[in-house]
Amino acid sequence: MPAVLTVDPRSGVPIYLQIIEQIKRSVALGVLAGGEQLPTVKQLALDLTVNPNTVARAYRELERDEVIETSPGRGSFVRNGQTGSARAAASDVSADALARVVREAKSIGLPAERVRTLFDAAMARWFPEEA
Amino acid sequence: MSTISMAHLTKTYGSLRAVDDVSIDVPSGSVFGLLGPNGAGKTTTFKCLLGLARPTSGRVSFDGAPLMAETFERIAYVPERSVLYEWMTAGEHLEMQRRSFSRFKPLRAKELMDLFSLDSRKRVRAMSKGMRTALAVVLAFSIEPEIMVLDEPTSGLDPINQRSVLRLIIQAAARGTTTVLSSHQIGQVERAADHIAVLRDGRVTLSGAVDDLKAGHKIVEGIFESDRFSLNGFASDARVVRVEKTGRILRLTVRSDGDEIARALSGMGALSVRVVDLNLEDIFLNAVDAGSPVDVVEGS
Repeated sequence: MPAVLTVDPRSGVPIYLQIIEQIKRSVALGVLAGGEQLPTVKQLALDLTVNPNTVARAYRELERDEVIETSPGRGSFVRNGQTGSARAAASDVSADALARVVREAKSIGLPAERVRTLFDAAMARWFPEEA
Repeated sequence: MSTISMAHLTKTYGSLRAVDDVSIDVPSGSVFGLLGPNGAGKTTTFKCLLGLARPTSGRVSFDGAPLMAETFERIAYVPERSVLYEWMTAGEHLEMQRRSFSRFKPLRAKELMDLFSLDSRKRVRAMSKGMRTALAVVLAFSIEPEIMVLDEPTSGLDPINQRSVLRLIIQAAARGTTTVLSSHQIGQVERAADHIAVLRDGRVTLSGAVDDLKAGHKIVEGIFESDRFSLNGFASDARVVRVEKTGRILRLTVRSDGDEIARALSGMGALSVRVVDLNLEDIFLNAVDAGSPVDVVEGS
C-alpha cells in the first residue's frame, strides 16, 4: 500500500478514528483500489509507531462498515465491488466534513436559513449542471 | 481474559500509603501505560506486582494464578534504577541472562546490541546513563518474554534510541506480549499504550482505553453576549469536571463527547460554541490536578 496514512498521536482525536477516516478517504479517492491489500496490523502499527491493538480496532470497524474485508491467513483487502464501498466511504467522509462545517456555522451564530443559502450557493458553484 | 491482575493492592511504609487500593487489570496482549507524577507510587506498584515488595494487602495474579517461581521465566523487567553490576561487561550481563532464562535468544541479543550500538566488551562502570538504560532494554527483550514490566525504559536515551525502544514495544505487542509501562514521556505512552491508568498519591484517579479517554474528555467553550449568564447548574453536573468563567467566556472541561453540553450552551444563548479535543497530556494533567471534583474558577 502506498504511504497514504499519517496519524498524529498527540492529537485529541482517537488514533483509531484517524486511521479509519484516512483509509475511507483513500478508498473514496481511489488511492486505495478495490481488491488492494492493506498492510498487516503489525506492519501498519510499526509504520505509524502506534499500538497494534489500536490498528486492529480500526480494521475491525472498517470491516463492520464494509470498507475492507479480512480473510484469515491472507490479510485485509479493500472490498471488491469497489464502487459500492468507495461510494459508501465517500459518503461517510463527506457527511463528516459537512457536519463539521454546519456545526462551525452554527457555533459562530449563523441562523439556519443563512446556512442553507450558503449551502445552495456552494451547490450552484460545484454542480452548475443541476442548477 | 486478563494476563495481569492487581486487586486492591495497598503498600504502606509506616504512615505513608505508597500504594492505596490499586486495582488494575491488564488484558492479554495489551500495552498498559502507568502515568503519574514523581512519587505517585508507580515503582512501588511494579515492585508489588513482581513480588519485590510485599503488599500490605491486596492480591496479584498472572493468568489467574499467584506469582510463582516459574512465572519469572516468562517476565522481563526493566527497573527504574539500574541493577547492572558496575564491574561486569555488557557481554557478561548477556551471559548471565542466558544462564537465567531458558528462552534467551542469542541472535536476538546480538541484533539488539547492534541496534543500540552497544559494545559487549564495555564495562558498565564506563557506560553513560543512556547506555545503561539501553543495556537493560537489550537484556529484557533478548528473552522474548510473554510479559514485560518496563519502568521508565527510555530514561537518558536520545530521541533515536527512544524511538527504537518504542518500536520494540510495538513489535512485542504485535506478537502478543503483555506489557506494563511507566514513562514520563506522555507522547510515547500515547503511541505505545492502548490502556492507561493515572496514579496520584498512590491511588488510581483515571483509567481506561486511550482512545476512549480521548473520545470522552473534551473542553466545551461558549462565548456569550454579556458576562451576565448563569452557570445553569453545570457546577453540579456529573459530566463536568471543571468550570472556568472568564468574562463572556465559559469553558467547561467535560467527561463526555461534549455534544450535549455544546447544545445546552447554544440553548442558553451562547453566540459561539466549540468543542475542543484533549490529548493524553491534557487528560493526564486534569487527572493529577488536585482540587475539588468540580473547580469553579472565575476570572475577568
